[in-house]
Amino acid sequence: MADLLVLQGLRRHYGTLAALDDLSFQVASGQVVGFLGPNGAGKTTTMRAIFGLTDLEQGTITWNGREVDATLRRRFGYMPEERGLYPSMLIGEQLEYLGRLHDMSVPDAREQTRYWLERLGLADRATSKVETLSHGNQQRVQLAAALVHRPDLLILDEPLAGLDPTGIDTIGAVLVEQAKAGRCVLFSSHQLDQVESLCESVTIIDHGRLVATGTVDELATSGARRLVVRVEGDRDARWAHDLAGVSVSEISGGEVRLVLDAGVNSDDVLRAAMARGHVTEFSFHRRSLTEVFREALQ
Amino acid sequence: MKFLYVILFIAFFAFVRLRRRRLSQAKRQHRPIDMAFLRSGVALVTWREVRERVRGKIFRYGTLLILTAIAAAIVIPTLHHSKTFTQRIGVVGSLSPALKSVVHDDVRAYGGVAQLVSLSSDATAKSEVRSGRLHFAILEGRSIVVKSLRTSNDASEIVQIAHDLGVAQALGAAHLSAAQSAAFAQAHALHVTSLVPQRAKSANIGASVFGLIFIFMMLQQYNTWTLLGVMEEKSSRVIEVLLSTLRPIQLLAGKVLGIGLVALAQATLIVSFALVLAKAVGSNLLHGAAPLEIVSVLVWLILGYAFYSWIYAAAGSMAERQDQVQTLALPLSVPLIIGYVASLIGASGTHASTLLTVLAYLPPTAPFAMPVLVGFGAVSGWGFMASVLLSLAATYAIAHLAASVYRRAILQTGARVHLRDAISRS
Repeated sequence: MADLLVLQGLRRHYGTLAALDDLSFQVASGQVVGFLGPNGAGKTTTMRAIFGLTDLEQGTITWNGREVDATLRRRFGYMPEERGLYPSMLIGEQLEYLGRLHDMSVPDAREQTRYWLERLGLADRATSKVETLSHGNQQRVQLAAALVHRPDLLILDEPLAGLDPTGIDTIGAVLVEQAKAGRCVLFSSHQLDQVESLCESVTIIDHGRLVATGTVDELATSGARRLVVRVEGDRDARWAHDLAGVSVSEISGGEVRLVLDAGVNSDDVLRAAMARGHVTEFSFHRRSLTEVFREALQ
Repeated sequence: MKFLYVILFIAFFAFVRLRRRRLSQAKRQHRPIDMAFLRSGVALVTWREVRERVRGKIFRYGTLLILTAIAAAIVIPTLHHSKTFTQRIGVVGSLSPALKSVVHDDVRAYGGVAQLVSLSSDATAKSEVRSGRLHFAILEGRSIVVKSLRTSNDASEIVQIAHDLGVAQALGAAHLSAAQSAAFAQAHALHVTSLVPQRAKSANIGASVFGLIFIFMMLQQYNTWTLLGVMEEKSSRVIEVLLSTLRPIQLLAGKVLGIGLVALAQATLIVSFALVLAKAVGSNLLHGAAPLEIVSVLVWLILGYAFYSWIYAAAGSMAERQDQVQTLALPLSVPLIIGYVASLIGASGTHASTLLTVLAYLPPTAPFAMPVLVGFGAVSGWGFMASVLLSLAATYAIAHLAASVYRRAILQTGARVHLRDAISRS
């Protein structure tokens, strides 16, 4: 049976500001889930609530039907938004220590530390202090700290922020690998193109409320049909503005993206385009995650 | 003593009530407490603290520096005494063989060798003494000239010689028989028996003052470590990672315990080193530091740390920058300084004052005042135990409050958390 994290009716206020407003969603194991939302949407508060770092006014968080408590949390891995490690502690010892805090034996913690440092390209830095590493490498150590105890659930707050493409590839590959190994992986990011390539599902929140959730495919193909049309020599797509039930969402380099209302026949659109000139491209397309995100927040 | 028993009874009653309330609360909430993990979590945090602190340069070089300073304080004074030094003593006029023998014997008794130098006049003798070429001079067997009595050792030596020469001359003038003179020569002081055993007060107080300064320095150092250690965990945000798996009380207790163990180890090392070295070189610096005084100092170091460390840890949780820590540390050190200064002043008196006695039973000042009271021999075993129990009860209450403040403040970032907010939320 797949593991399941369920957040139900979470509420949290900071003064008059509602950080979480009856927020509910689920995260299933075996897939990477993107946790999206604009700044201040409540993503970090949600993640902190899962780890008991924020007191909830209302709501429950369960793992496989059992309310999350200190014992269960030791099976979770957390990478906080503001990286947190002892700056002057040796990296290897720090990872072992964190592993031991999660009930690992000394040999197991040591073996897992060695594995993750090697896996993340830091095998030769085990005896270095964290403060001597570059930002990207500190990020890798932080990821290792979240993974060293083989967590069932992995929660990562902005794990890709500030990384170069190599770092993103490395960490992204680890997240996908973890999900394939049957773990629950939830991470937040503002890099939507990366999220789209890594995640199978996304959950979007705003003002502490859920605004969209589902697989990337479902969200990309749901809603109004979308057409990409390119007419030779046409740069402003005036022909499309006059079509009933058709709205122009984007014009870029001669390519026009159209959103069709339910009753619109795409053949009528093709005819209108052909009347304008030679049609070089005419295809239906999925929404990008950026479009899904923007439209969800409108 | 009656009021002490009343206070003890109240403290015990409050402890039992508080304990019962907490147990019934836990029962109502049906929250099983994972004691095994609680213990192992605390043990892991404690072990990390001990390892990191002992490895740190501050600890290693600091300990080395303290040991060096103590070694210097113990060894240097003994270098002067350990050498057999020759004292050049001027003699104007003649000294009988009996009087010369008195001078030689007395100088030898003070660790030196007398070299008698004959001089022609009082003026020459004074000139030689003033120039420092002579230690002192005996003028016609009637008086002694000395430049100054620089040390108590010098003074007692000269006084002894002056007295013995006077006695020897008086015996000579009495025209006693050989047997009578021999009988006088064998005279020694009467044995004095005190009905109430009492050690040399000045020596015990000296050891207590030494202990008082030691406790103050150690508390300042280790409480600052606790304060900065908690602040570092908050400012580096590692606290979020730690508290995602540990309870705040585990982290707090582990830190306090770990730093406390390091403090105790360092204190034991320093005291042992001082005692062994003092014994090895025959120093009288710690003379009179009977086991009771040493145990008292160590007990109050532990109790003082236990009491203050929780307060400093809670304060550390309210700050995340150095400037905020400095603002917090100043008011925290006020009770320490008051206890230290008042006890130091109390130790300079001839007997234990009422103020010192009262301070010895107040938990914030007891770590400083009680060792001094012990030095004066002005506290009974029961009184000592009463003060210990009061301190433990106060530490329990303080730890409870500090844990609440810590739990609320440690995850709040940005502006400094104010105590009123932390307490009201807790």
